Amino acid sequence: MTTALEFRGITKRFPGVLANDAIDMKVEAGHIHAVVGENGAGKTTLMSILFGLYPPDSGEILVNGRPVRFSSALDAIRGGLGMVHQSFRLFPTLSVAENVVFREEPTRRGMIDRSAAVERVHGIATRYGLSVDPEESVENLPVGVLQRVEILKALYRDARILILDEPTAVLTPQERDKLFEVIRRLRDTGRTILFITHKLGEVMALSDRVTVLRDGRSVADLVTAETTPSEIAQHMTGRQVDLDRRAPAHQSDGAVLEVEDLTVDGEHGRSAVRGVSFSVRVGEIVGVAGIAGNGQSELIEAVAGLRPVIGGSILLNRATITSADVSTRRLGGMAYIPEDRHRVGSSNQASVSNNLLLGHQRKRGFQRRGWFDVKAVRDHASRLIETYGIRSGPINSPVATLSGGNLQKVVVAREMSHGAPLLIAEQPTRGVDIAAIEFIHDRLITFRDGGGAVLLVSAELSEVLALSSRILVMFAGRIVAELDPARVRETDIGFYMTGAHEQAHAG
Amino acid sequence: MQAEVPSPSLGTRIATVAGHPALFSIVLAFALGWAVVSLTGGDAWFAYREMVDGAVTGSGLRNTLGRAVPIIGMALAVSLAFRSGVINLGGEGQMVVGGLAGAVIAIYMPGPGLLVVPVAMLVGAVAGAVWALLPALGQTRLRLPILITSLLLNYLARAVTGYLVRFQLLDDSVTLTSTEQVPPDARMPKLPLFGGVSFSLVLVLILVVVIWVVYGRTVAGYETRMAGLNGRFARYGGIQVERQTVAVMLAAGAIGGAIGTHMIVGDAYRYIDGELVLSGLAWTGLLVALLANNHPLLILAAGLLFSGLQIGGLAMQRNADVSWRLAQVLQALVIVAVASRITFAWFKRRSDRGVSVSDVEGAGVGEV
Repeated sequence: MTTALEFRGITKRFPGVLANDAIDMKVEAGHIHAVVGENGAGKTTLMSILFGLYPPDSGEILVNGRPVRFSSALDAIRGGLGMVHQSFRLFPTLSVAENVVFREEPTRRGMIDRSAAVERVHGIATRYGLSVDPEESVENLPVGVLQRVEILKALYRDARILILDEPTAVLTPQERDKLFEVIRRLRDTGRTILFITHKLGEVMALSDRVTVLRDGRSVADLVTAETTPSEIAQHMTGRQVDLDRRAPAHQSDGAVLEVEDLTVDGEHGRSAVRGVSFSVRVGEIVGVAGIAGNGQSELIEAVAGLRPVIGGSILLNRATITSADVSTRRLGGMAYIPEDRHRVGSSNQASVSNNLLLGHQRKRGFQRRGWFDVKAVRDHASRLIETYGIRSGPINSPVATLSGGNLQKVVVAREMSHGAPLLIAEQPTRGVDIAAIEFIHDRLITFRDGGGAVLLVSAELSEVLALSSRILVMFAGRIVAELDPARVRETDIGFYMTGAHEQAHAG
Repeated sequence: MQAEVPSPSLGTRIATVAGHPALFSIVLAFALGWAVVSLTGGDAWFAYREMVDGAVTGSGLRNTLGRAVPIIGMALAVSLAFRSGVINLGGEGQMVVGGLAGAVIAIYMPGPGLLVVPVAMLVGAVAGAVWALLPALGQTRLRLPILITSLLLNYLARAVTGYLVRFQLLDDSVTLTSTEQVPPDARMPKLPLFGGVSFSLVLVLILVVVIWVVYGRTVAGYETRMAGLNGRFARYGGIQVERQTVAVMLAAGAIGGAIGTHMIVGDAYRYIDGELVLSGLAWTGLLVALLANNHPLLILAAGLLFSGLQIGGLAMQRNADVSWRLAQVLQALVIVAVASRITFAWFKRRSDRGVSVSDVEGAGVGEV
């Protein structure tokens, strides 16, 4: 067995943080090797070093036994590495083939040979079971297919070592299963796969070996077949973890949020939400499932007051808020954890304290006649940092210095600390580590048990299943199913998410 | 969980101050200026000494303080908008319109100076605010970017005031295109300080302190800063960004208008057509706001520096035979250096994903 990729004592220090601490890792050729770790464990830094985004302080990287030091991503690609990023880097108006061959176009007499490009891309796609039309324009493709295009890009450049960074975050269960097939086929043709994830189910299902990173160190190197999810989780967090958190639902009649026949327009004047009705009652978590882009974001923005309503009505605690401004909604008892915590849920140059304050800055107790009670504001921030275990510097340091999980805790703390009866939680655990997921789930359950109403939107079906009292499935702007989480499986939800039921009816 | 980041040592602090981008820019600009003078065969050391001398000794100090009043005032006006994310380039128009309105009151309103001067300043402020309201409403109601409308309204302001001075308010007794003189009673009093500095200096200092306190201690200061840093976050948090844009423009316009009036009742004593535009004060103020990163106390310092450069530059030309335009070159170099600092920080951020102190201190005056 040969080693395709090896890290030896990689150390990288950033101001105040030891991001990688003498990391050793061996990736065998022709294996699927998973790298797991919480956010801030050093996965991203390690991959950035591998791709030459910055040099390590010490240590070396070997590819096929030879020491390498790439000075840029292009350099790394030439060295036989391929990276599929979490966020895709594609030209939306170009075709699949044009995207794939970019910078390495086949030419004939100095001109780009389009038909050769299409042919080659088609050839690679068929060989690995990546079904995609090379001549389709990228902007028309769903997310799952975009990912295949990214994989094609790497294969076209003949990457022997393929790195996939959290590849399933954006996929439906069906798409995920297809991706796994492709990855296995790639392995079987002799390529080496480095699979970065924080989902233990995927590690178990797919990988041959797994390396666990924690606090910048590699703490375990395991053969997947000989380990268990809870052992891996223990290594990741350094303690015992309770993974299955399904809890019985409390039910009651009082509706906190009532949405009636709601219609909302999307970005380009196309109607994104089409006549949606539902309610969220005291003591329940209503989960909304759906593939991204089926109206969930627009629905939430309309409820939160950030997007105008075209038709229908929204009631919060029996008061109409259909066209009320954001501050009225907040005063009326609405809290909102937005899906984009960087651009909507926080201000990265503002301090932790300032970020914890927004939305409550006019509340009595923090200010009188427009003048802040500086001590009250500061104490409030310190208290939240303490209760929510936010790892930050001083309260006046900017949140840009916080890790993803800690930033999300800032958002959660701010929204949940004011006793609002309705909480909208949009992708509340996206991209955060296991400890933070556990913590946030705990908070949501406690909130529900205390009589709160939660509207939960998540791309993680396991999360929707574990937390919800009821599940609404959205497809093409409508609610196409209301399901009981106790009686359905992920694949059942996936069936509705893809609109398959409509075809089933039609056929 | 707190205090994982150790507080910086004294050495680090000193290094931070010395390496401060604004200070660094100033030093760099003077070094480049030195090279320019030397290369053209001048004696740079002598020129700089004359410049400093001219800016702070004798009547130089009075002139420096006098010129600092409108520079700091206009810098405060523009920083108010910039800090809130409103790109107001209409300072000049707001100043010109306010100046003429204030001048009319000062010239024609009967009554004691103690009444006329404050009324003139007030009317000037209101006129400037109204002029600033136009682009504000354009943006909030019609989605016309303030950046463009406020800039274009400067030309309209020149034309309208030029017409009024030429055809309605002209003083026939002088060869200037000017209004009549402000009667001695209706002028801004002078302080018995450094040979007579306008009382407006006190007003500007008060304004600096008021703005500083408002930024750090009030809900309005917090909300405007949040909107300036991230508009989507501000909206999400319930801040009414449109209403705030209007309020900020009114405040900026009022300050601009009051400074315009000061230039008439406290400096020139008559409204000469084109004079306020030619002075370039609004634009110097904008540069000062950029250099100071909208921080009111730093605006005070940077305003004094630029004023000193301009006044000292004239003395340097007189005594060292180096063109006063060197002062302008220095101003420009400082700004170019400051601007490239932004690029440098951005570049650095990309490479190490960290955020340097200079990026975030910004206008974050008071931590509340």
